[in-house]
Amino acid sequence: MWTDILEFFRGMGFMQMGADFLGAGWQQLVMLFVSFFLLYLAIKKQYEPLLLLPIAFGMLLTNLPGANMFHSELWSAFLDPSSPAYHSYGAILKEGGLLDVLYIGVKAGVYPCLIFIGVGAMTDFGPLIANPKSLLLGAAAQIGIFITFLCANAMGFTEAQAGSIGIIGGADGPTSIFLTSKLAPELLGPIAIAAYSYMALVPVIQPPIMRLLTTKKERAIKMKQLRAVSKTEKIIFPIMVTTIVALILPDAAPLIGCLMLGNLMKECGVVDRLSKTAQNELMNIVVIFLGLSVGATATGASFLNWQTLMILAMGIVAFGIGSGGGVLLAKLMNVFSKEKINPLIGSAGVSAVPMAARVSQQVGQEENPGNFLLMHAMGPNVAGVIGSAVAAGILLTMLG
Amino acid sequence: MNFLAINWPHVWFVTLLGFALVLVLLVVLIYVLKLFGVIMQPRVKVETPKEVHEAVGAPRKEESEHITLTGEATAAIAMALHLYYNGIHDEEPTHVTIKRIERKYSPWNAKIMGMNNLHRN
Repeated sequence: MWTDILEFFRGMGFMQMGADFLGAGWQQLVMLFVSFFLLYLAIKKQYEPLLLLPIAFGMLLTNLPGANMFHSELWSAFLDPSSPAYHSYGAILKEGGLLDVLYIGVKAGVYPCLIFIGVGAMTDFGPLIANPKSLLLGAAAQIGIFITFLCANAMGFTEAQAGSIGIIGGADGPTSIFLTSKLAPELLGPIAIAAYSYMALVPVIQPPIMRLLTTKKERAIKMKQLRAVSKTEKIIFPIMVTTIVALILPDAAPLIGCLMLGNLMKECGVVDRLSKTAQNELMNIVVIFLGLSVGATATGASFLNWQTLMILAMGIVAFGIGSGGGVLLAKLMNVFSKEKINPLIGSAGVSAVPMAARVSQQVGQEENPGNFLLMHAMGPNVAGVIGSAVAAGILLTMLG
Repeated sequence: MNFLAINWPHVWFVTLLGFALVLVLLVVLIYVLKLFGVIMQPRVKVETPKEVHEAVGAPRKEESEHITLTGEATAAIAMALHLYYNGIHDEEPTHVTIKRIERKYSPWNAKIMGMNNLHRN
């Protein structure tokens, strides 16, 4: 009986953590506190709570000693060509825990695409169709991705890792996860957390950059009302974009295809049930799975190192450069075009839908309360979603 | 960190070509969308002002310049259009609400009982 009691005590998480405290124990303890902090940010501060909460909880679960819910060693074997479990989902299903099984969806690149179906079903591409020039702003904002790619290479990351770090500048969580799971799965935890944290911090990061790069007069520019877009245009748009992008860049097809499928379901008006499911049930279920499994990858050993700090630092640089790139291109466009555009809408070229557009509206109204930039900013904003998915496809083609 | 170990030509190639490709692809989409916009423009014959005035008997330009709409009027028109196009209006029950009231016979409502039976000699 005493042996059983002793075994029970030995099996306790506290004992396991204490037994190896100088090894993995302290890292697990620190990660538990990091997860508590993220939970605080999600619940109390409401920073992207829909994703930050499951991510933080996944982090909590994976760092509980003895819970055996996620096994990073299984995934290392999955990537090791000399291991018998190389690319074997069977081995994961046989030996893995709950979070390992959920992580298969991330590894196979399924969750980000399913989330894109929901994003598409919730997005109105009308402002972009009405003002196609917005696409230029969406493209310019992707410059942050490529400059950060350069910087990350200079800091000693491999090209594949640098590409994954750069994509944080696209401010698009699912795209970052999709690309990182293909190029540098070992960095998935820090990159996902950086991407979602910076998306949540859009209202804090962008306004100073926007004010720095524009004059008071530019911020007060009023834009002409957008033309009305017919239903037929909205229906043809997703079909057309998918065909063109996938024919030019097949690697971008999963993300763009899913985004446009969701949008087509919304706009065609004949599959309301599917559209509502994509917007609500499907999206919510996938967000739970994605958040939990991405959080699970943030184990002490993989998270508590200099790489993570560098990723967080470069992520904010990428994001800042992307926002600034959009604003500067908008100013450049004003030099050449007759109809002036408010450069504040350029910063919405980073994805972060619709928060970046709201920030443009907010900063614009500070200068001129009668200025309504929201719909104008939605054009570059949704163009940013397309742009970052295209950039991810390009990086995947070149570095994958 | 060894800067020389990095394959800089390839890194620069990916950076420049990658960004150029994003730009080119989205510029292609801009032109396709513009073309799309031209094709999809509603082809409604726009009547000349003269035809319109003759048909409707509306005031000519010189007269119509005097018509000004207040903010309230504009808001009311916008609201009416919004209600009309979104089908937001009172739900009509589509049946006649004035019903013929049928009461069963009762001594309490019998007309005959309410009458004074005056005896006439």
